[in-house]
Amino acid sequence: MIEVSGLRKAYPGVVALDGVSLQIRPHEVVGLAGENGAGKSTLLKALVGLVRPDSGTIRIRGREVRLRGVAQAATEGIGMVFQEQSLVPNLTAAENILLGCEGSAVRLGLYRWRRLRELAQAQLDKIGSRVDPMARTETLSFAERQMVEIAKVLAIEERTRAQPVVLLDEPTSVLEAEEIETLFGQIERLRKHASVVFVSHRLDEVLQVSDRVYVLRGGQVAGEVDPATAGAAGLHRMMIGAEATGSHYHDDLHRPPERSSVRLSVRGLCGEGFTDISFDLIRGEVVAVAGVHGSGREELCRALFGARAVTAGQVLIDGEAVSLTGPRRAVRAGLGYVPSERKVEGVVSAMSVADNMTLPYTRPQDVEEWIGRLRIKTPDRRTPIGSLSGGNQQKVVLARWLLTGSLRVLLLDHPTRGLDVGAKSEVYRLIRELAAAGVAVLLLADSLEECIALSDRVLVMKEGRVTVTLDTPPGAKPDPVDVVKEMV
Amino acid sequence: MADAARVAGLRGRLAARVPERRHVVVTAMPVTAFLVLLAALAVASPALLETGSLLTLADSAAPLTVLAAGATVVVLCGGIDLSVAALASLASVLLASWVPALSGAAVPAVVAACAVAGAVQGLVHVAFRIPSFVVTLGGMTLWSAVALLASGAATVPMPDSTPTDWAFTRLGGLVPSAVLVALATVVALAALMRFTPLGRWVRAIGHAEPAARLAGLPIARVKVIAFALSGATAGLAGALLVARTFSGAPTLADSLLLPAVAAIVVGGTAITGGHGALWRTLVGAGIVTLLRVGLSYAGVDAAYESILYGVLIVGAVALTIDRSKLSIVK
Repeated sequence: MIEVSGLRKAYPGVVALDGVSLQIRPHEVVGLAGENGAGKSTLLKALVGLVRPDSGTIRIRGREVRLRGVAQAATEGIGMVFQEQSLVPNLTAAENILLGCEGSAVRLGLYRWRRLRELAQAQLDKIGSRVDPMARTETLSFAERQMVEIAKVLAIEERTRAQPVVLLDEPTSVLEAEEIETLFGQIERLRKHASVVFVSHRLDEVLQVSDRVYVLRGGQVAGEVDPATAGAAGLHRMMIGAEATGSHYHDDLHRPPERSSVRLSVRGLCGEGFTDISFDLIRGEVVAVAGVHGSGREELCRALFGARAVTAGQVLIDGEAVSLTGPRRAVRAGLGYVPSERKVEGVVSAMSVADNMTLPYTRPQDVEEWIGRLRIKTPDRRTPIGSLSGGNQQKVVLARWLLTGSLRVLLLDHPTRGLDVGAKSEVYRLIRELAAAGVAVLLLADSLEECIALSDRVLVMKEGRVTVTLDTPPGAKPDPVDVVKEMV
Repeated sequence: MADAARVAGLRGRLAARVPERRHVVVTAMPVTAFLVLLAALAVASPALLETGSLLTLADSAAPLTVLAAGATVVVLCGGIDLSVAALASLASVLLASWVPALSGAAVPAVVAACAVAGAVQGLVHVAFRIPSFVVTLGGMTLWSAVALLASGAATVPMPDSTPTDWAFTRLGGLVPSAVLVALATVVALAALMRFTPLGRWVRAIGHAEPAARLAGLPIARVKVIAFALSGATAGLAGALLVARTFSGAPTLADSLLLPAVAAIVVGGTAITGGHGALWRTLVGAGIVTLLRVGLSYAGVDAAYESILYGVLIVGAVALTIDRSKLSIVK
């Protein structure tokens, strides 16, 4: 069906795809696994024409194509169900399904509603969905909307009269367990009509639904796996490469936290997305917050930095109450925050390394010293930060909070997102060193492995509340499966 | 790994040394356009290159330059101040009516009052989270109305011109003082943007407000200061106009709004914020002034001028806008 060969795509500072070759055959479910930044999303976007590769070819049914957008990809029979959904909320499900390809449902520029309904129903029937085609999309649940998206993608079939290829980008990330089962049932049905590419963070899911799994690592295909013989552990090893985890996480730099002195104290904090949160961080402790999407951990993290409104509760640093009215107050109180959206919220990419590092301060700072201490690879301090690699950008953001020496609590929201293995390890080293120097660290980890390996304790959040606290000291790490059990 | 690091380092160094092509265009274009215009005018009328006429040209550009200089700071923040011309008109009325009571202190008082007016607009913008173009569009009509009321919809003559004489004289019988005022304004604001944390913060907010916020910058305060600076230079521009007309009038500076916006964007400051500089506005004001002179020299009716400003603004914005910031352009 689809044959990709030697696909390459480079962005400034990072190679997203580095010679990817793979095939998707008719009636096949192909899994894509890989860490964040491995190139999964870029590959999918290249297949629907949202990203134009620098080199390499995409052949569809033997013919080489250059895709210029979603519409052209659709005429070639490729459709994508996006992670963040792409439906228009104030239209009916039927209108959304046929949006852009209304065909006989429009005559003289007017909708023929009965025909529209029939055509949409036909698509929904293919996947056996019971969604009412005349329901307004915004009234549907997330899972129902996803079904509508799949039906929409299948409508491609009518136009091309060829078997479509459906790309599912992280379709399960916000679904409940039973909805996931339903989705898997749909994927089995889909197989009769189409080929499916399935991307998920959850390896067991990938292994469960796929006929074959490609593992991506650092923009390359690290290997092809047969789900019948491989296990999640093997898949994971292939994803992260042959890293010895102990040295990867710099366990040797770990110091036991000073039990007696509380750094950050959160008392009954409430806000949109989280309720009645109470916990303490002691000096030198790394506490990870685990939770699925929607657990409220991101909201909590931003609220602690004053970047989200708090409705009740109190936060104390070293026994003093902190006003949570804005990030500036939080910075004054000794808090630092590394946001997950590095490009948008972390750095000002058009400005220099030095400007980014010293952004909040009015007095000149010793930028050179910190470039050296954190081994930031930059030609000089005046280089625009946008031309640095992701890892070096992140180090500049970290340096911003370190250079005054007044940092007391560091909030890390996915600090290693999109970084390569080496850069991750350097960020881990920094976190260890900071903790050893007495900073209390609250970590929203990028992966469960990172969450457990780096932390002294794990707070599990579910539906806006902290449900369980697990001790995770070095040498007595819990099994990831046990943590997942608490999360869902 | 080491290789990859070296390649990344090299790429970074290249990116630092070789500015992207668009950047070169945006930097070189305004200066080139200015020089080409000057050369064209000089060919058409060689007398123009004499010191005297060049200085007269510069003198006529001074109020516009001052007006656009402060507004540039707001644009660097990612906003826009459409009220500057109306505020300068109001300043002219206030100055003419305050001179009898305040004499020499009237100019500083007017500049301060306009700074407050600008700051109020900034406060409304940040406190109620209303887009700056809406707030200042409202401000524009508000200040116009206040000027009309304060002047009784008529020209207010200066009873005594001594308090503003300094702004319309020739030092050593040659250099127009207004040109020095304009240059001093530009240099002062440029120094503020270049050497102070405020300047860094203005650019950071213009480039990436979410990042600036999470770095703990005092966003609201910076924006209010930017609008106050814009108001203050509008007041100063009003004073320069009063000095040369010996009167204040409720619509005295109104026709300068489009030229002022044109001067900012033609100079190469991006309307999306962040990218830009004060010297660019100086060059932009020069271009706008030369075009106006050139048109009248060529015998084109002044009514066509606005067409030119419109085309200039749209063209310059098309070249300088930072599209990475706008996935959807509204």
